[in-house]
Amino acid sequence: MHIRYLSLTNFRNYARLELALPERTLLLHGANAQGKTSLLEAVYLLATGASPLTSTERQLIRWEAEAEGLPYARVWAEVVRRDQAQELEIILEKKPLANGSSRFQKSIRINRARKRRADLAGHLNVVLFTPQDVELVSGSPSVRRRYLDGTLCQVDGEYCRAVGLYAEALRQRNAALRHLRDEGGDQSQLLPFEETLARTGVLIADRRRGLVATLSQKAAEIHRRLTGALEWLRLEYRPNFDPAAPPARERYQMGLGLPPYTGPPPEVGDDGLVEAFRAALQARRPDEILRGMTLTGPHRDEMRFIAGSPAQGTHEVDLGTFGSRGQQRTAVLSLKLAELAWMQEHTGEKPVLLLDEVLAELDASRRRYLLAQVEAAEQALLTATDLEMFSPEFRQRATLWEVRGGVILT
Amino acid sequence: MQTIPAPVAQLIETLAELPGVGRKTAARLTFFLLRDKSDLAARLATALQELRERTRFCSVCYNITEDDPCPICADPSRDHATICVVEEPLDVIALEQAEVYKGVYHVLHGVLSPSEGMFVENLRIGELLARVRKGGVREVILATNPTGEGDWTAAYLVTQLRPLDVRVTRLGRGLPVGGDLEYADVVTLTRAMEGREEV
Repeated sequence: MHIRYLSLTNFRNYARLELALPERTLLLHGANAQGKTSLLEAVYLLATGASPLTSTERQLIRWEAEAEGLPYARVWAEVVRRDQAQELEIILEKKPLANGSSRFQKSIRINRARKRRADLAGHLNVVLFTPQDVELVSGSPSVRRRYLDGTLCQVDGEYCRAVGLYAEALRQRNAALRHLRDEGGDQSQLLPFEETLARTGVLIADRRRGLVATLSQKAAEIHRRLTGALEWLRLEYRPNFDPAAPPARERYQMGLGLPPYTGPPPEVGDDGLVEAFRAALQARRPDEILRGMTLTGPHRDEMRFIAGSPAQGTHEVDLGTFGSRGQQRTAVLSLKLAELAWMQEHTGEKPVLLLDEVLAELDASRRRYLLAQVEAAEQALLTATDLEMFSPEFRQRATLWEVRGGVILT
Repeated sequence: MQTIPAPVAQLIETLAELPGVGRKTAARLTFFLLRDKSDLAARLATALQELRERTRFCSVCYNITEDDPCPICADPSRDHATICVVEEPLDVIALEQAEVYKGVYHVLHGVLSPSEGMFVENLRIGELLARVRKGGVREVILATNPTGEGDWTAAYLVTQLRPLDVRVTRLGRGLPVGGDLEYADVVTLTRAMEGREEV
């Protein structure tokens, strides 16, 4: 698939941008803070319904737009998928309220019809490479959970709906837990939220487990190639709630000697899992009321990057804790390339690649490997401050545009 | 604001506190009332005063009413063995205008939404359960909105009503009449498919 046309209004530092995009490789170059990354961000927003860079989406509205009295941003694209053109549109608005503050509203349209975020799944698929990706290995667990959600939401609308519903039920249950702690009251009002958490939680854990298993397998192959078979890599999904395992607390104390998680035993069906989840939530209620928050469930899931080398036998390390920066970068590049392969297999189409200043961090051989993937893509959007990073042949084949102060010079 | 006389500014500020009314609308309404030659302002003032003074909650169904019990609860021709549970008095008006329902109502005055400070204690749920326990009720129709909060409220009511030996039903949901399949979202389509009927 590819994006044929992109239109931005008041998005980040773009007052207005109308851009017919070329297929194959587009290389956007220019100094820092000119709007290169914002362009990739806009595309990612249309693919997933959320920004990869910020959770405060108010920031995406160009601040001068507010001064001018029209606090809204619009991102619109025409996407060609299996020779069919589709229109995707996201409008972000700050609606002024009587008390002087404002309410933020995001509306999504697909082919001009109003839709929900989950309906975006399958319309535009992207794989984003950024220098911040290394935080997937070194950062907090929430970074990894957001990554799993962003990846699955692009292709799986059911998952996306489950994640949204889970988050809402979690917020409600936590508020109810605090109320019960402070004021007391009827504990059975937790039941409707627990039912939602159990049903959506089982689906979320199941899809995440499947994704991590596939990514682990593919990343291992790529990693072997990238390191010349000197090291190996494995991804581990560690669900916070596992109906077939001891409680999470004990498992963490057991440390890294744990075998990779392969999921609940097959004889426990979906209903059994939901029942076990429900029971776990109810069992921890007294503790959770004291703390005013829900402690069980996929909102506390974890994924780890485990590596070793054949030369060191069975010795293995957790790259998040013990990996060097170089090891972490290689692991994350393997993961991203695995994601690309997974998405292509899963959807039967080539996703749009978005690469934000990633080459500077890679050595020559990894750079070559990555650029070969870029040139195999139906469409790839790259940003760079330094064009010398690319070979003359690569530059020859790519379309080169300069970005300067929110304007694109084609 | 200093150039505007205090009573004018005060009305603008007050009207702007209403939902759906911004400062501009509030100012427009205020100046309309100021220039109006009829007794509109006086009638409005009386109506606002009587709104609180002459209305109360029906002691049976908790709908807004002038007389207690309300005309619906007092009507012997209605089916008092069927109770339709709604979120707000406006929902009663909507159902009454449709003229499809001949039973009685129960108004919850809100939905279960702890994050907004709405707990079961804040809703007229205990009153509903007492009504059912008193006997004579055959069916309770849950007509909360098909939103997250509406669904959770209905789910809670199910847990409370199930032990009471009463039939509990939920309003059907699916495609709007005059709608277009193409424009329906996935959740609506899924529910419409699940709730399909033999013809």
